[in-house]
Amino acid sequence: MDSSVFSFTPLPADFDAADALRIAVQPGMSCRGWPAGAGTTALENFTALEDAFVIQQLKQTGMVIAGATRMSELGLGLTRDTGALAVTDGRADAALIIDYLGEARAAGAKARIFGFKPSWGSVSRQGLTGLVPSMECWGITGRRILDIQQVMTAICAPDDHDFSMHPGPLPDFTESHQFQDRAPVIGVADGYDASLTPEEIRAWKSGLAALETAGCRITRISLPDAALFSLAHHIIASVEASSSAGRYDGVRYGHRTSASDNWNEMYLKTRGESFGTLIKSFLFQGAYFQFQQYATFEQACRLRGLLMDQTLATLSELDGLAGLTITDKADPVAAQTIDHTYQAFGFTLPASLTGLPAVQIPGLACHGSKDFGLHITGKPFKDPDLLALARFLENMGNTGGTP
Amino acid sequence: MTYEAVIGLEIHVELNTPTKLFCDCPNDPGNAPNTHICPTCLWLPGALPRLSRTVVEKAVTACLALNCTIQNRSAFDQKVYYYPDLPKGYQLSQHHHPLARNGSLDVDTGNSVPRHLRIHHIHLEEDVAKLIHDTEGCTPVSLVDFNRAGVPLIEVVTEPDIRTPDEAMAFLKLLRTRIRYTGASECSLEKGSMRVDANISIRPQGSTAFNTKVEVKNMNSIQHVGDAVAHEIQRQTACMEKGDPIVLHTRLWDPDKQVTTPMREKFAGPCVPDPSVPPIQVDDAWLAQKKAALPEMPDRRRERFVTDYGLARDEAGAISRERDLAEFFETIAKRYTHPRKAANWIISQLVPALRDQDRVVSQVFLTPERFMALLTLVDTEEINAAAAKAVLVQMLSTDQPPETIVDTHGFRQVSDTGALEKIVETVLTGHPSDVEDYRAGNPKVMGFLMGRAMKAARGKANPKLMKEILTRKLSQ
Repeated sequence: MDSSVFSFTPLPADFDAADALRIAVQPGMSCRGWPAGAGTTALENFTALEDAFVIQQLKQTGMVIAGATRMSELGLGLTRDTGALAVTDGRADAALIIDYLGEARAAGAKARIFGFKPSWGSVSRQGLTGLVPSMECWGITGRRILDIQQVMTAICAPDDHDFSMHPGPLPDFTESHQFQDRAPVIGVADGYDASLTPEEIRAWKSGLAALETAGCRITRISLPDAALFSLAHHIIASVEASSSAGRYDGVRYGHRTSASDNWNEMYLKTRGESFGTLIKSFLFQGAYFQFQQYATFEQACRLRGLLMDQTLATLSELDGLAGLTITDKADPVAAQTIDHTYQAFGFTLPASLTGLPAVQIPGLACHGSKDFGLHITGKPFKDPDLLALARFLENMGNTGGTP
Repeated sequence: MTYEAVIGLEIHVELNTPTKLFCDCPNDPGNAPNTHICPTCLWLPGALPRLSRTVVEKAVTACLALNCTIQNRSAFDQKVYYYPDLPKGYQLSQHHHPLARNGSLDVDTGNSVPRHLRIHHIHLEEDVAKLIHDTEGCTPVSLVDFNRAGVPLIEVVTEPDIRTPDEAMAFLKLLRTRIRYTGASECSLEKGSMRVDANISIRPQGSTAFNTKVEVKNMNSIQHVGDAVAHEIQRQTACMEKGDPIVLHTRLWDPDKQVTTPMREKFAGPCVPDPSVPPIQVDDAWLAQKKAALPEMPDRRRERFVTDYGLARDEAGAISRERDLAEFFETIAKRYTHPRKAANWIISQLVPALRDQDRVVSQVFLTPERFMALLTLVDTEEINAAAAKAVLVQMLSTDQPPETIVDTHGFRQVSDTGALEKIVETVLTGHPSDVEDYRAGNPKVMGFLMGRAMKAARGKANPKLMKEILTRKLSQ
């Protein structure tokens, strides 16, 4: 059954899940027998042959896969995405949204609910139709941090099918992680507000005040090269996408062009007809760096390492690094170009580039009717601590969620 | 002007692991099309590669056999090219950080000093699918068989040290022998488990410049490599002498016409690191284990066979070329009093018999113990050499000791003097003019008469005794 929220669901609208959590997924996440076109013509006839590891884990813990939402092409950006809507409309308790730039967190901010991105390597990517292998992960949006914690408890487990998972112990969400015995220490980058609009500054100050009211200790930190996160992300992600998207040739299970003189022509035409403008732009940009400016790609990789080192050094003294989730400059739901997309996700993409866990908290960084979302980045593989901090703030203040 | 060739080889070797490189599908590309496939080797959306530990172990062993330095850290890249045999658009290959570097082989080319030919690096990569061009009615169709997709390969990339077709062939033969010794691959160009591309350029003799090279593909035997390289040297030399420029491109060897022809290029781009396959980390202790487990290599074994068992160098070389044959020989040589006789029997009788059956010694019923028993039957004159050859052939496919075969088929030698004298008399009576010829002073007739006598005895006669009787009767 299709709806404006779901592109596919096997459940009736009045389905009663009893106490089970209902999870919405994107059609780029493999659910056996479900359409898995990932929002692209290149895969429009592809049906998943097996459940993704994450889906298996959710089912094993008794959760119900409520349906597949609509999604942007291959999950890049949020145009057409209905994951957060599935939650706010009450069709699901949590929605899984593939996260390259901060899609799950930005979707949460737009819908005034929570959004979370786990550490890269803590959740198996098997069954995820991705575009940027070194950044993609299963993002989660939900009304309550508790629901996100429950989802993470189910899906954060070793999987022999994903060799890129963290080789050490994975985060343990069953342990108690609380901030009752000490004040959480939250870092704020020097000069962070320099690029904010007056309205954003007021919302930001409101967010900081809410953190202090909740008992957090705010400390100033230095991230001298923070302006380079977006550049490094853009170059690396587009190159990875340009290379990896070859898999989605369209020929085998998606749209195949009707006329061509030979197979090379057929492949070229099929790809040309299969991808939308945003993805094509991204792939062209990546191809440019890959084929014409490879040294720049290598520099971007080195820059990524530098930014990672700086961020980790900063986080060593903190419980989290705070900022806003979305900006007024570009709307993540409406961004139609790569430039706008990068502007819209400018606050969330550093966590994607560095593979760190990050959470979007609604209701704290507001001004007037606008909620820009409070974004906190955590330490690597300390995802349970970060969610505990979010829950602490959820319980202490008016975050808009349901405590 | 005299030119010299500058030749580098790129050799793909298919590893004989039970499974493919990144999934658990059987590594058996020869089966019915598209039967050994899964989401990973079909590269369906959401499938992830899982690196096989066994592949890495076999690859490391092969690299050690080629005297390479194993790198502590190697990693896979996405090698982008678009062609229907690679529908996912990239091949996982170790472009930036190969598994091994700086190898070499000392190749015997008939000169007093072996040629030291260097290997630049060896990397792991997955094989691509196989294209089958067919027709459906009158419509030409191209089909894709994914059984081969994901089969593990190592690619050996040499330095441009090779100068002649003979050196290229000698290098390939030694490389094949050494890798076969490790058990990592059969290395058969004919069966496709080894594929060779040659990069060839020419320059004036004495120059150190590297000129524009031409790559030659599609060579299905070591002899084809030699022929193709020789042809390409001739072709380029003719171009240079005419003043035609050498253009960087790829050519195909046509073994029927004995020429190279230009081929269409595949589009290929730079390699991007693949984040889904973690880097291979090799620690010193593990590597030390692998080095210790490396079998004795054929060239060293050849020298030892000369020293330990008194074989001639060429005999030792022939015996040590294949590991199982060398081990077969050595098991015998340690217990049998005439090792060189055993070597001669292996080279002159066993190896041709195996070749006739397209098998190797480990695939037949013959054991070193049974082979030794056969030689002992010859030594004790229980059977003669002709009978032993016939018994040997039967021993390859029959699970029986030689004594049983000898008795069952009546191969036992006849040494009964009375019986042999009767045979000789019959032969001499039947060939009076030959007897007269011999007695008139033509000794060559002896061979003819001996042959007749042995034939009359159905090959079972003791030849020494038979000859004594024949000589005696002829002189009477």
